Amino acid sequence: MDQALAKNIRQSILRASHRSGHGHIPTCFSIVESLIATYRFMDQDPQNPAAPDRDMFVLSKGHASLAQYCTLAHLGYFEVAEVDRFGAHGSTFGCHPDRLKVPGVEVSTGSLGHGIGVAVGMALAARKQAAATQTRTRQVVTLIGDGEANEGSVWEAVMVAADQALDNLKIIYDANKSQIRCLQLPDPAARFAAFGCAVQSVDGHDVAALLTALNQPTDRPSVIVADTQKGYGCQTLVDEMFAWHRRSPDADELALLMDELDAR
Amino acid sequence: MRGKFKDIVTDLAENDPRVIVLLGDISVFQFRHFQERFPDRFHNMGICENALISVAAGLASQGYHPFVHTIAPFITDRSFEQIKLDMVYNDFGGNIVSCGASFDYAWDGATHHTYFDLAMLRMLPGAEVCQPGSEAELAALMPSQYANGKTTYFRLSDKPHDIDLGDDLAFGRGVVLKDVGAPMTVMTAGPMLAEVLPACQDLNVNLVYFHTLKPIDQAPVTRFADTEIVVVQDAFGLSEAIAGVRPGLRMAVLGVDRMDRFETCYGTHHDMRAALQLDTAALRARIPTAFQSAA
Repeated sequence: MDQALAKNIRQSILRASHRSGHGHIPTCFSIVESLIATYRFMDQDPQNPAAPDRDMFVLSKGHASLAQYCTLAHLGYFEVAEVDRFGAHGSTFGCHPDRLKVPGVEVSTGSLGHGIGVAVGMALAARKQAAATQTRTRQVVTLIGDGEANEGSVWEAVMVAADQALDNLKIIYDANKSQIRCLQLPDPAARFAAFGCAVQSVDGHDVAALLTALNQPTDRPSVIVADTQKGYGCQTLVDEMFAWHRRSPDADELALLMDELDAR
Repeated sequence: MRGKFKDIVTDLAENDPRVIVLLGDISVFQFRHFQERFPDRFHNMGICENALISVAAGLASQGYHPFVHTIAPFITDRSFEQIKLDMVYNDFGGNIVSCGASFDYAWDGATHHTYFDLAMLRMLPGAEVCQPGSEAELAALMPSQYANGKTTYFRLSDKPHDIDLGDDLAFGRGVVLKDVGAPMTVMTAGPMLAEVLPACQDLNVNLVYFHTLKPIDQAPVTRFADTEIVVVQDAFGLSEAIAGVRPGLRMAVLGVDRMDRFETCYGTHHDMRAALQLDTAALRARIPTAFQSAA
């Protein structure tokens, strides 16, 4: 079921990118399974995305917004056809997400290194609310990119989360090797552990493994290092991830990429 | 003024469980009783200004009223993008309370001088910018604004003035201190009033004071729009705010204006004001000829 959903989401990403002329497809493709696992993990209602007792997700690497839009659409938050106006003037769906426009988007992101800090504040707030009302502690999941982790603000946020022992914060680190040509972050699991987090490393394209990791109870912030591929699902995107970093397929390329998705 | 800030926030916290204090390892001793009284609503988070603002935005997103407090240049200059995006663009809001205004920490040099903050934060859509010059002004401004869901900047000073402006202080309202029908009007803001008021004492000028730079009170600017306006400021921001009220104002600026250099001297805030010709004696001499020197 999850594999079929993942394929549907990837097909929607390709179609929306083709129709709009926008999109960071490889970075979207690397997080599809992480998004599916996150929404399976969270207590959220697509019909009432602002419910006060909901869990919350923050896409810190906001340039992968198209993946979040298509995931939300396939989960029933809105119609997938609405996403086709992605990036157009007057569209609800920008190339970076706007929380005031898109149901299910908690934080407007786009400048890297911001979403995770806000997520830390949300997790802190959720813990305070739970203590005050004697109710369950709402969970906060944030997804950051490995390139994004070049930003110092990411590590400030992680330090604060660990210092506050935010056991309701889950950080998915999308290790899609996007920064292999610049600032390297070898052994991210060891780094997050050194910063005081509970770290698990999983196959980032295995929804069940991601879900198991998200459900793992901890007494501190949880980091899931998701080993992923940019462009996962289409060999052309994997082989030429930098050329496709920000590019939309023409009709022939769309057909090729759709065929590659089908071939998996 | 920091002590007054602590008193105000403590009073607010007694009646509002949504009040939370986030410190950047500043004023910790000052807040020790607050910490004892409200341990769950006090976080000395560390020297991490970017995270301070982002975390405050996250708290505000869930209905809390955070007060972020640390030294002015670090929370405003360094964290400008966090303020812009996480608080303002996201419309989460929050309260930013700085210390070390302008040349309060003159002796610490250019890294600790702060004269961009008011102008920078004034540009942010919907943000509120307050420059209280005294504890009484802070007491009038903070309780009325802290819980309105907006991003509000309270710029504290360790060198407040001690001038009694009466009880009719309100957010967004300028104070006309002197209206003698003069052809020239002096406008200033914040602690600089300590220099400007005595400088204007024997001059044939009107005098208007602002503790709120955004929104700027348009009424006194409009009232004196036909006079020559001399703005006295120890930071960027006030003159831009006044100029934006209406086109065609005849305005000269004394102090920090078009200053295309760092002030690299040390000493005290008195020394810096003297160096910038913003002390009382210098102002008394410069104000009447401000338009001549500006020309």
